[in-house]
Amino acid sequence: MSFSNNEMDEIINDFITEASEGLDALDQKFIELEKKPGDTTLLNDIFRSIHTIEDVLNKLRKGDMAVTAPIMDAILQAVDIIKLLLNNIRERSDKEENVSSIINILKGISSGRSGASAAGAQPPQAGAQKPRQAEPVKAVEPVKAPESVKAAEPVKTAEPAAKAEPPVAPAPGPQASATVKDINPAASRSVDKEPSRPQAKADEGGDKTREREQSIRVDIGRLDAALNLAGELVLSRNRLTRLGSKLNEWNAESEIVAQMEEAISQLGIVTSDIQLAVMKMRMQPIAKVFNKFPRMVRDLARTTNKEVELVLSGEETELDKTVIEEIGDPLVHIVRNSIDHGIETPEERVAMGKPRCGTINLSAYQEGRNIIVAISDDGKGINPDALKKSAFEKGLITAEDAEKLPAKDALSLIFIPGFSTAAQVSSISGRGVGMDVVKTNISRINGTISIDSEVGKGTRILFRLPLTLAIIQALTVEANGEVLGIPLSNVIENIRVTSSEIKTIEGREVIRIRDTVYPLVRLGSIVSGGSEAAGSEWKYIVIISIGERKIGLIVDRLHGQEEIVMKSMGEYLKGTEGISGACINGDGKVILILDIAGLVESVGRVYAK
Amino acid sequence: MEIKKDVDSKEVLQLVTFRLGSEEFSMDILKVQEIIRHMDLTRVPRTPDFVDGVINLRGRVIPVIDLRKRFGMSADEKTNETRIIVADVDNSIVGLKVDAVSEVLRLPADTVEPPPLLVKGAESDYIKGVGKLEGRLIILLDIGKILSKTEKDVLVGTLNAA
Repeated sequence: MSFSNNEMDEIINDFITEASEGLDALDQKFIELEKKPGDTTLLNDIFRSIHTIEDVLNKLRKGDMAVTAPIMDAILQAVDIIKLLLNNIRERSDKEENVSSIINILKGISSGRSGASAAGAQPPQAGAQKPRQAEPVKAVEPVKAPESVKAAEPVKTAEPAAKAEPPVAPAPGPQASATVKDINPAASRSVDKEPSRPQAKADEGGDKTREREQSIRVDIGRLDAALNLAGELVLSRNRLTRLGSKLNEWNAESEIVAQMEEAISQLGIVTSDIQLAVMKMRMQPIAKVFNKFPRMVRDLARTTNKEVELVLSGEETELDKTVIEEIGDPLVHIVRNSIDHGIETPEERVAMGKPRCGTINLSAYQEGRNIIVAISDDGKGINPDALKKSAFEKGLITAEDAEKLPAKDALSLIFIPGFSTAAQVSSISGRGVGMDVVKTNISRINGTISIDSEVGKGTRILFRLPLTLAIIQALTVEANGEVLGIPLSNVIENIRVTSSEIKTIEGREVIRIRDTVYPLVRLGSIVSGGSEAAGSEWKYIVIISIGERKIGLIVDRLHGQEEIVMKSMGEYLKGTEGISGACINGDGKVILILDIAGLVESVGRVYAK
Repeated sequence: MEIKKDVDSKEVLQLVTFRLGSEEFSMDILKVQEIIRHMDLTRVPRTPDFVDGVINLRGRVIPVIDLRKRFGMSADEKTNETRIIVADVDNSIVGLKVDAVSEVLRLPADTVEPPPLLVKGAESDYIKGVGKLEGRLIILLDIGKILSKTEKDVLVGTLNAA
């Protein structure tokens, strides 16, 4: 068998993608198995897909052995090794991983209990051929572990694993590989509008060829290009709509103008549909992120000697690919915090009259134009007084501030850079670089974060995320003759004030609105660098927020709300302070979009001085 | 050096020539994507003064650099002749504002001389050479160098502003 380099590359790439997805799914399966040790159907599924740990699993299936935590540790470690091998293939390194120790552990588990033969001597598994039952989780077929080892051979990275491999069972092999293509849940769901169908088909277990054609893998670059073009189309449509209404003013009687108007509105409908369709193509179920948590929570709970149950809901909620990629780390951080600081040890919990096992809820749902991701635990909650004390000791707030700060607002102290409440820094969390980074990451994708906690009852953190990053709602304002856009998700309210209502404290302008004092920034001085033309007596103030910080922007006029397509200003002007990008409005003019996060930060810096 | 090689070969350079004040400049035609009339700009705050702003080029937002300001010449009112040369440099599209675009010129490579030593310096390394054609002196620009230099300047500017 000989391949050209390109063919080989393609094969390796496909294999890596499939195997990675499979491995993630395998993680899930094992965690599930630990919860339901008696579920043989589940085991059969895992069987079909992984052979390295075949024997041990066989014992489990036959009931020779109970599923215990040390066994699961060994199995999960084995999965990790496979992941590592996979990574080596991806990086084309010839590094060999030491798989013998884990194989020995597995063998030890296997022979230790029953004295049965070692790995190589296992007969093929008849169980793998059992028809599968229609259970929803099952529809997502686990892994390609057997393939991972087979395919790894030609590139000479996974040799130890391959040698230690028992002969591949003939029955599961073909069946497993036939289903491979169809089971990528993300791909099939994002392209196919009907998630139940591929699942149902997978359950039937027959007719694999037709299934395969239900989804295709597309290079993300092409989707981005399509999205850009759809954006252009929206702009052209906006422009045509404007011209159409002008035409109408100019000659309302004409037949041709009426037809033109009709054609434009038809184009408008189609354009919106195209835009939506392309956006949907980039959407992926949040399960892609959630799926790594069962494993993580399990491992963390075991290291910290706590009992934690993770409840996932709304995994099918779809988000833009970029958003999905960005929320992974913040979520990991918060879940770690929950386990490390939130959930108490089983003894403490029992003493407090709570169930031994703590619960972490990870859920996602849509609310209007936003997606809400909520992480809640039933741990000890956050004590606002402890936060105040800690913030005061670190010199982040004054004693007076601490006194005045309401409990609810005190919770947001954790978002201040350099804040960490953990009395003791552990390897899991509490390095003091956490929550502010979380907040920054969420702000970067135009999301907001809020926190709610009750001492003794638990903590709940909410991410409010935009459905998509490409199209945003913006408020257009004018200052010193320049029109600028402000992302609407950052706007709290607009107020018209007279100049006399603007007060100064220590040379800085502030305004008091309903008993809250907001620092003010003159947008005009930002856009024209210092000098500002004297405007009218009336000013508009736009209150904007990033996370918990709010400032007021003084502008000359408010223009209105527009749906805009964010564009980068190119390599050359990228990173210009205060500007996050540009968009093109209906009459073809470029409007700059304010970088609210940067602006709020720079105001913070000024005040700190 | 690159110039040396150009001189050795008998190849012909294809150049777009343009005017800034009374001087004639030129750049490699392969770097030019198109030439457009001057259009309304949107100024971008906190950028160096030679960045005129950004324009909408059929849906793309591209920055425009005023070459007069870039070369330290006095600013000039825009006229009917003012053009923006849209250049593609290392895959980033940039507009260059010039007083007028004159013509496309074929210049034998051996008539191009390296820049005179006297004007050579840190500031003028974007001058590739000087071409002679029927008594005219045409300055050959290395657009890539202009941009990479301005990029550095932008960076310095931002640092100073912070």
